Amino acid sequence: MAGPVQQVEVRWRPSRHARRLLTLALAGLLLATLTRRPELVGVAAPALLLLGVALPGRPGRPGRPARLAVRVGLASSRLYEGELAAVDLAVDDTRFDTRWLLEAGRGVEPASATAVNGAAARFEFTVPRWGRRQLGSAALVLHDPWRLTEGRAEVALPAVDCYPQPAVERTRVVLSRLPNRLGEHAARVPGEGTEFAGVREYVPGDRQRAINWPASTRLGRLQVNTFAAERSQDIVLVVDATSDVGPPGTSALDLGLRGAAGAARAYLDGRDRVGVICYQWGGARWLAPSLGRRQFYKIIDTMLSADAGWGRGETFSRLPRAALPPGALVVVFSPLLDQRFVETLRDMRERGFGLFVVDVLNTVPPPRRTFSDAMTRRIWRMEQQAIRFALRELGVPVVHWDGAAPLDLPLAPYTRRPLVVHR
Amino acid sequence: MSALRVLTAAAPRLAAVLLGAACVAWTAVPPRHTGLATLALVVSIIAVVAGALRLALADVPQPEEGFFPSAPVRTWLTFLAVLRGLPWEEIAVVALLWLEVQHPARPWHTAALGFALVAYLLAVHIAESGAPAGRLLRRQATLLLAGACLLALGAGFAMLPAAGPGAGSALLRVLAAAAVVAAAALVLPGRD
Repeated sequence: MAGPVQQVEVRWRPSRHARRLLTLALAGLLLATLTRRPELVGVAAPALLLLGVALPGRPGRPGRPARLAVRVGLASSRLYEGELAAVDLAVDDTRFDTRWLLEAGRGVEPASATAVNGAAARFEFTVPRWGRRQLGSAALVLHDPWRLTEGRAEVALPAVDCYPQPAVERTRVVLSRLPNRLGEHAARVPGEGTEFAGVREYVPGDRQRAINWPASTRLGRLQVNTFAAERSQDIVLVVDATSDVGPPGTSALDLGLRGAAGAARAYLDGRDRVGVICYQWGGARWLAPSLGRRQFYKIIDTMLSADAGWGRGETFSRLPRAALPPGALVVVFSPLLDQRFVETLRDMRERGFGLFVVDVLNTVPPPRRTFSDAMTRRIWRMEQQAIRFALRELGVPVVHWDGAAPLDLPLAPYTRRPLVVHR
Repeated sequence: MSALRVLTAAAPRLAAVLLGAACVAWTAVPPRHTGLATLALVVSIIAVVAGALRLALADVPQPEEGFFPSAPVRTWLTFLAVLRGLPWEEIAVVALLWLEVQHPARPWHTAALGFALVAYLLAVHIAESGAPAGRLLRRQATLLLAGACLLALGAGFAMLPAAGPGAGSALLRVLAAAAVVAAAALVLPGRD
């Protein structure tokens, strides 16, 4: 097992077993003296023998090290929500009977026994919700061969980054106008792709292999096949972290991050350039679009720093211009609860960006019996409907996602053909 | 297979409970109806039962403390704190020895009780620490054998006729037994 070595301090003291034996011995001796019964000295004898043998300095007794080297190995410092992971612990000193006790940190759920005997131990755990989590600590308990003294040491366990579980998304929304860059999406302009676009008359310079012989025979003139150019697109994922509503685990921010992770993976698999903006109080955290598998982890690391907390004096700002390349498709994951964020979307749309909103609001205010509460709830519903209606009127598709179904389902009407954006 | 595993895990706890009950029964018979004896019997029964419950609930995790726990949760937390905070085995040992001295002198009976008490404490330790019982008992076999011999020796000392009447001669016998035990504890090598 590979892992960093920690030097931990060991505190030694009599064990509970030793304290019990001492109680038996003292009670036996005291009662023997008080009642003048020698047989009670005999009752104290086995306990006294054991305690006497364990006295410090007796031959054959292992010394008590003040410090011990403990190796801590983590299978992976990055995992997804609900994924099983393990931490390995080992101590080099094998003279003692060793017991490990896991004290899991907040947000970490043990998936195996939390107490293990032996010089090495493996504790399995899961993290049910995304975020940076401290695994907690492990208590190392050492016993001498007679189990009369015990040494205790605390081993601090490392932290893990728990990534949001990416939503299932296999299809992609593709813009009708794509930048002039090689990729995998069939564009509307002819080019050197593999997707058939049409047939036209042969002109000198055309490749001979492109000649469409059936059409040429039918028309009496040479015809060639034309193909669609293959282009890539820029995708900017916007995660609205200004408001986090709903039960933990399925809150709006949870769904937003899972959806954004799924979309990032789907578009990066399609050789698109993907960036992310986490929109939160006090400014946005963003990552410029780029390609590749490494970009996926960079995007998730950026998203992990999303903070839904509100701080006094923090302001709302416009989205960073550098994070939004011209002609990019902006996919927004938001509960659309904050009017200022909606205004920011409207501003982006007016700047000519192709916008697509995934609504991740899955909770409503609890029903109450009073008239004013019911009226407030109704007004809130109408306001939400108005926000979505206004965005659709601007030409921004808004789809609702419940977090349970694959993201392909709500996106289906927009993935069958290219998304036309009117500028 | 799983039933066998559960039985293996529960065996030390069951052994501890049975030994505790045996100690109480062994000491209580014949019943003494004096105030102190009854009190010692009640205390020892409570302590053995509480110790058994502590072992049985050892795997139950401590609930996280919230800001405003409900009454049942508060009661459960208090119960667990009492169960895990008090030294029930020590209380049981002292109460049982006190109950034993309430009876008239019976050296071999007391010697058997001493051995049962040591076995009870070992069983409790094995049950709560999960230590491998076979290895632990093998390591301590010599000492336990010597302890049994000393127990018998103590009972023998009690059965020897006193050199003369009076408390001084009885105390001398106690001191002689204690000296033998001390000498044995110092002489026995502390090998693994």
